Amino acid sequence: MTLNILIVDDSAVMRAMILKTMHMTDLPLGEIYQAANGQEGLDVFNQHWIDLVIADINMPVMNGEEMIDRMQENPDTKEIPIIVVSTEGSKTRIERLQYKGARFIHKPFSPEIIRDTVRDITGIGVSDE
Amino acid sequence: MSEQLKEILSRVAGETLEKLAFMFSFPEDERGTIILDSAVAATISFVGPFSGTLVMTVSNQLLPELAANMLGVDDEETTLDQQHDALKETINIICGNLLPAIAGKEVVFNIDAPVIIAGVEAIKKVIEDHDNKPASIVKLNIEESECDLLLFINGKFTLAS
Ligand SMILES: [Mg+2]
Repeated sequence: MTLNILIVDDSAVMRAMILKTMHMTDLPLGEIYQAANGQEGLDVFNQHWIDLVIADINMPVMNGEEMIDRMQENPDTKEIPIIVVSTEGSKTRIERLQYKGARFIHKPFSPEIIRDTVRDITGIGVSDE
Repeated sequence: MSEQLKEILSRVAGETLEKLAFMFSFPEDERGTIILDSAVAATISFVGPFSGTLVMTVSNQLLPELAANMLGVDDEETTLDQQHDALKETINIICGNLLPAIAGKEVVFNIDAPVIIAGVEAIKKVIEDHDNKPASIVKLNIEESECDLLLFINGKFTLAS
């Protein structure tokens, strides 16, 4: 099985960094899609099968939390694992995202934390050590 | 309190640059502020228990290095768009980490999207709009290049710890 991943962040440089990090892991990567905000992210679901979403919170047009809310309203997307990668520092907001089922990674991140969280959330590649 | 604030800003900026761009920085208090003719700035504003703006000015030499380090490519391979994007994301992450370091993790801030300010007059105007009174200034040396951080805070604030 390979993982189709959607990376949602308004910074193209940050998307490239996350992508680079994904390639540094031994995770079985499938197609990688990118979106610059929540709305663009939702548009990707209509066209492609996605196994994992890595999303920023602070974005123009539609922020990450609203995208997560919309995903949960839709039976086709509500089960997709979500990792939030954000600078958010407020405990209240982080807990609210976790309550919605998202895993939280703080920016700046290390490649290892991304790899370990992806493995943990998908159950893929854990035996490859 | 201003010494503490400066220490926090310096530490958060240093940690961010190190983790995000693998760049090491050290404070350079003795030099003057950056020459704006050969620099570019980004600003980010925030609202919460207190509001304010963070301004990050980097020398023209540092800008492509920052982007290249973040992307893991050579300096010449980066476009101006990527360089500006890299600076915006860097100030975004510094600001996101700075506010809880100042005010604690219990409080909530809304942080605006970062903006690039290019040109001497435009950068000067941002500083003048805040009455030229930063709550803190940190001057960094990053791999022989200059970077200034100015933190403007409107009204009163207290340090969490
Ligand atoms: Mg963002």
